Amino acid sequence: MGTAHLLVIDDEPGIRSGVREILCFEGYSVDVAASGREALELSAARPYDVVFIDYRLPDIDGLTLLQSIHQQRPSAMTCMITAYANIETAIAATRQGIDFFLPKPFTSEDLLGVVDTLLRHKKLRDEAELLRVAHEQSLRELASEKSQTHSLVASLRDGVLVVNRDGEIVLANRAMAELLGTDPTSLEGQSVRCALVDGALAPALSAFDPIDPGSAVFEVDVETRRLFVNVSGFRDGSGTLLGQIVTAVDISAVRRLALEKARFTRTLVHELRAPLGAVKSMIEVVRDKSLGGDLDPYLPFLARADQRLDGLADLVSDLLSLSRLDYEAAASAPNPRLDVAPIIAEVAELWRDRAAQIPVILSLDISEELPRPAIAEDDLRTILTNLLGNAIKYNRPNGSVTLCAQRTTEGLFIAVRDTGIGIAAESLPHLTDEFFREKRQQTRGIDGNGLGLAIVKRLVDRAGGRLEISSLLGQGSEFRLILHG
Amino acid sequence: MSEKTKLLFVDDDPLFLAAQAAYFGARGFAVSTAEGTEEAIELLERERPDMILVDLMMEHSDSGFTLARRIRRDERLREVPLVMLSGVASATGSGFAGDQEALRSWSQLDEFIDKPVSAKQLLAVVERRLADRALSPKEE
Repeated sequence: MGTAHLLVIDDEPGIRSGVREILCFEGYSVDVAASGREALELSAARPYDVVFIDYRLPDIDGLTLLQSIHQQRPSAMTCMITAYANIETAIAATRQGIDFFLPKPFTSEDLLGVVDTLLRHKKLRDEAELLRVAHEQSLRELASEKSQTHSLVASLRDGVLVVNRDGEIVLANRAMAELLGTDPTSLEGQSVRCALVDGALAPALSAFDPIDPGSAVFEVDVETRRLFVNVSGFRDGSGTLLGQIVTAVDISAVRRLALEKARFTRTLVHELRAPLGAVKSMIEVVRDKSLGGDLDPYLPFLARADQRLDGLADLVSDLLSLSRLDYEAAASAPNPRLDVAPIIAEVAELWRDRAAQIPVILSLDISEELPRPAIAEDDLRTILTNLLGNAIKYNRPNGSVTLCAQRTTEGLFIAVRDTGIGIAAESLPHLTDEFFREKRQQTRGIDGNGLGLAIVKRLVDRAGGRLEISSLLGQGSEFRLILHG
Repeated sequence: MSEKTKLLFVDDDPLFLAAQAAYFGARGFAVSTAEGTEEAIELLERERPDMILVDLMMEHSDSGFTLARRIRRDERLREVPLVMLSGVASATGSGFAGDQEALRSWSQLDEFIDKPVSAKQLLAVVERRLADRALSPKEE
């Protein structure tokens, strides 16, 4: 504390100057006031550490002044100076919060002793006040931190349960309560062993041994969900166990992905092994000379084996495309606006020979002034190659394929219509699934690996476009491609 | 055996069927082939092969099992040795492999063989199965 500021209020000029002299000599900063009004003006202007008040003042009585000063400066210490002290005055002044009485007459030692005592009191009181404020502040922070933690935990979609050292649940969120078939408030305060014993999380019980609390990790199926449950202890800085925390994370999506991947791999292995097996047995037939020593009978077989190997090569490049689509999910740079008409013509040209073999009439109906969609040239080429190829391959002899491209309000519209075998209604939703192929009498012998439309769908999605398919069994199909121009 | 031993191969892969027909044909077997479940059922109504070899994955991923079960429920075909060929059985260590025993007993298969299999290996299986059957007291 720096220099203490004192205020002396007395209507006797002798006392004012005498007291000021004594206190200034001791190094205190002292102001004096001759009246109550003057005193209040001074006190309003600056805080005083100690205020001496004469009980008898010309304008305001001592008790009223004391009250006003306390209102102005609650932290000021007050001392009443009076020659007429009686017990009633003392009680009334004490009620108003007076800190000390100094009866007149007094010596300079009396005065300095009072000042010293009051300043020490004030120091203690100020420190206590500081501590109280700090304590209240930290309590408030703690409460808000606790409520923040609570609402954070409550809003988690994963189940969370916190258990103290006595095996009592201190925190549970809604997700966890739902798993245990109850609500969070009825869980809190309950014994964890009672709460878990009948539910899906019963395997966690072993971790809540009262003598030897441990941890547990397991997966459990709850209705349609697969949960990953983890029980572990949490400790303070010195390593003392404070309690345990149970988390239940829904891993259904991850598991579904894993199952899908396993299914994909299984199908892929089948698709790879089938041609390998067929070609291998063909080679055995030749080496075995099963059809005699002359080469000619083997030639048709060898041609088919060759086709199977071509199919295998196509499969490998389609797999590569799919895998590239996986890690290139978002196109890196925006695509330039593409002039599609030349690409349509070019892809159609590639299929002319195959169309003529069946034979299928392939015709193009391309409007002038087509919109230019933002799509990579290779992507559009792959899409069109697949759509036209399917329309030709799954057609009937003397059928037709029409590709129509025009501008609509949505952008570029391309329709590929065929007069082919059509697609069964129940197959339509699966048409863009990887490896999906309709296996029917009519599809037998048509080459394909079931990846084409899966790739098309993903390329169209990537370009922000839309693929629509409609079909009538035995009549034909229409694939509509919409790309925003 | 004066008459030729009759084998039926059921597989959706025509090249595989053609190769087996050539290979086993050259060894004095009478080979019939069917490219799918329906064709096999049709054929089995007319013929009673001495042994049937079925691919697991044809129209559906478990077509072979369905066909095997159907064959086993047919009084006339119940005793015919039945071998299942599959490209997926041990492929991933999951799925079919896990339930292989259960599926085999459900469909009452005699043997399960992983594809790809060489014609030579298949021939060994066929000969062994036929020999077992010949020694079996049940055989007429």
